[in-house]
Amino acid sequence: MNLTEMIKALCSLAAPSGFEDQARKLVRELLEPYVDEMREDPMGNLIAVKKCGKPDAKRLMLDAHMDEVGLIVTGIEKGFLRFATLGGIDPRMLPAREVRILTEEPVFGVIDTMPPHALAPEEMDKAIETDNLFIDVGMSQEQAAARIPLGTAAVFAGGCETLGSSMLCGKALDDRACVAIIIKTMENLKDRDLNLDLYCLISTQEEVGTRGAITGTYSIRPDYAIAVDVTHAHTPDAKKEKTLPMGKGAAIGVGPNMNRSVTELLIETAKDKSIPYQVEVLPSSSGTDGWVIQISRSGVPTGLVSLPVKYMHSPVEMMNVDDAEAIVRLLTEFTLRLGEERSYA
Amino acid sequence: MLDTVKTLCYLSGVSGCEDEVRDYILERAMPFASEIITDSIENLLVFKKGRVEPGKRLMLCAHMDEVGLIVTGIDDEGYLKFDFIGGIDRRVVIGKRVYVGHDRIPGFIGIKAFHLLDKDEKKTVPKVGDMYIDIGARSKAEAEKQVALGDVVAFDDVIAEFGDGCLKAKALDDRVGCAVMLKLLEEELPCDTWFAFTVQEEVGTRGANVAAYKLRPDLALVLEGTTAADLPGVDEGKQICSLNGGIVIPFMDHGTIYDRGLFKMLARLADDNHIKWQTKGRITGGTDASAIQRSREGVRTGALACAVRNIHSHACIAKIKDFDDMLELARLFLEEVAND
Repeated sequence: MNLTEMIKALCSLAAPSGFEDQARKLVRELLEPYVDEMREDPMGNLIAVKKCGKPDAKRLMLDAHMDEVGLIVTGIEKGFLRFATLGGIDPRMLPAREVRILTEEPVFGVIDTMPPHALAPEEMDKAIETDNLFIDVGMSQEQAAARIPLGTAAVFAGGCETLGSSMLCGKALDDRACVAIIIKTMENLKDRDLNLDLYCLISTQEEVGTRGAITGTYSIRPDYAIAVDVTHAHTPDAKKEKTLPMGKGAAIGVGPNMNRSVTELLIETAKDKSIPYQVEVLPSSSGTDGWVIQISRSGVPTGLVSLPVKYMHSPVEMMNVDDAEAIVRLLTEFTLRLGEERSYA
Repeated sequence: MLDTVKTLCYLSGVSGCEDEVRDYILERAMPFASEIITDSIENLLVFKKGRVEPGKRLMLCAHMDEVGLIVTGIDDEGYLKFDFIGGIDRRVVIGKRVYVGHDRIPGFIGIKAFHLLDKDEKKTVPKVGDMYIDIGARSKAEAEKQVALGDVVAFDDVIAEFGDGCLKAKALDDRVGCAVMLKLLEEELPCDTWFAFTVQEEVGTRGANVAAYKLRPDLALVLEGTTAADLPGVDEGKQICSLNGGIVIPFMDHGTIYDRGLFKMLARLADDNHIKWQTKGRITGGTDASAIQRSREGVRTGALACAVRNIHSHACIAKIKDFDDMLELARLFLEEVAND
């Protein structure tokens, strides 16, 4: 399975925050050939390790989250489902949106839109709040109540597809594209002799506040960590200074959330190995698992590598595969180099 | 019937660019037609002889076109600017998949990430002029290789059956009407009938003007889709019609006061044959009837409509049973005209 195929396979799964079973199952299968041990913690994190077998080996942790933003059913009115969001979703993305409701036998639904005549003219220019939107499952109240218990989660319908010459577009690229990047990194390192124990934290519930990474990092107790997540790519309606261009390689985070020497080693590695990269300056929280990893236990020197993605948290997130390939190379080379330079320091 | 509706909905037929739909209908109608005319505006007019020649010349009408977008510009970074063809609520296009031009280049209507919005932006829907289509092109040159100004853009065509006998598809307005007419064409008809598959309804019933003038009907029946707003939070008075209310027999909309005699006849036929029906509980929208009714010396015109939620979006929703009921009621109507 190449990187593109793996991203497509992972994004096709329905695994919103708190409901990550589908993703965890596939990630477990995909990681299995490259690691020595795997376990699941009480938060549902998947923790995998490839051991180097050397005494007093340091631990490097690669982190990406497997959850995606989604919806959760909070009520049923006349057969239509009321819902809240799991993670931050722009309500303007929701009218006339198709969703997959995660009952045992998934149910298809469409978020209906009040037609213009039912609204005052000035309301036409206003975003409809989530509270005023409903999922249409084409059922009566009795049918819906029998099929869909309150608390059932839902995700955007569809998966991810190739667009143009090098783009992928779809839901859940945040952050399964980076989960795939970590798996491909582990594949690259399969037959390499490491000087450190390499942990993967494939975390849960990032979208509701980096919750999985809190317990996962505590449990792994890493000496170094790299959070791998998505960042905002440039779009015509966004400010250039708040976004990064696509196609310029791995985005290496610089700022207080990131350990200076880890960041420098990432940049040096990219330079030495001619891996395309760009610097992303983050003056405060990176908004990633890296934020909680950094202060786990007595602190973890943490770096951040990001994949630029357009339209984040929408069903049409977009990425450039070349950027993802660059990150796989960077993480591979960084792991080898960190092992050489720091393991016995 | 359902398969025909699905096949028709899958085809692209944005107003002014109905070729795919017309070609398909022509092929299906050919073996059953007594006469076929494609007129100057490219309506497809199909005549079929029936058992009797009725005293009144009869025309059935459904429109082939659908709402969509048209490319108006390509910016320096390869994003496409667009405008709407037909009445589209711009709230429903954000973040949707579209297909551009005859080569069906996939693209998406972009909007910057939620995280990057300021307070006011979160509350407002961007103007069409500020929206754009992203086809994944990395430059203007790359986009220009695939797309030209004036290319029409159709909505996502994924079709789903779901819930209690519901169908989700784009263009149910008015491929349901087209499908009913195709099915009738395949049957032995009680009376001579003209079938007008019209163009450009969504931009102002333009095809129907030309078709009605050409065919000089005395009687016309329009087969349509109509807005259903039977959603929680919508006052009963504003719901228009309901997906569970049966076939819609309208007495009036913004374009037409339907012929009272035909309205009553259609309602009676439905009642007598136990076909569930409703009428529009609010005066909204319009159909080809507005053009047909005022053609030449005037045409007695009635209509049947299928209730459709999210009507001018890619996610139209209708009850599958209504398709068959519309066909049955149209059949009964022809029988009645033949016996008149």
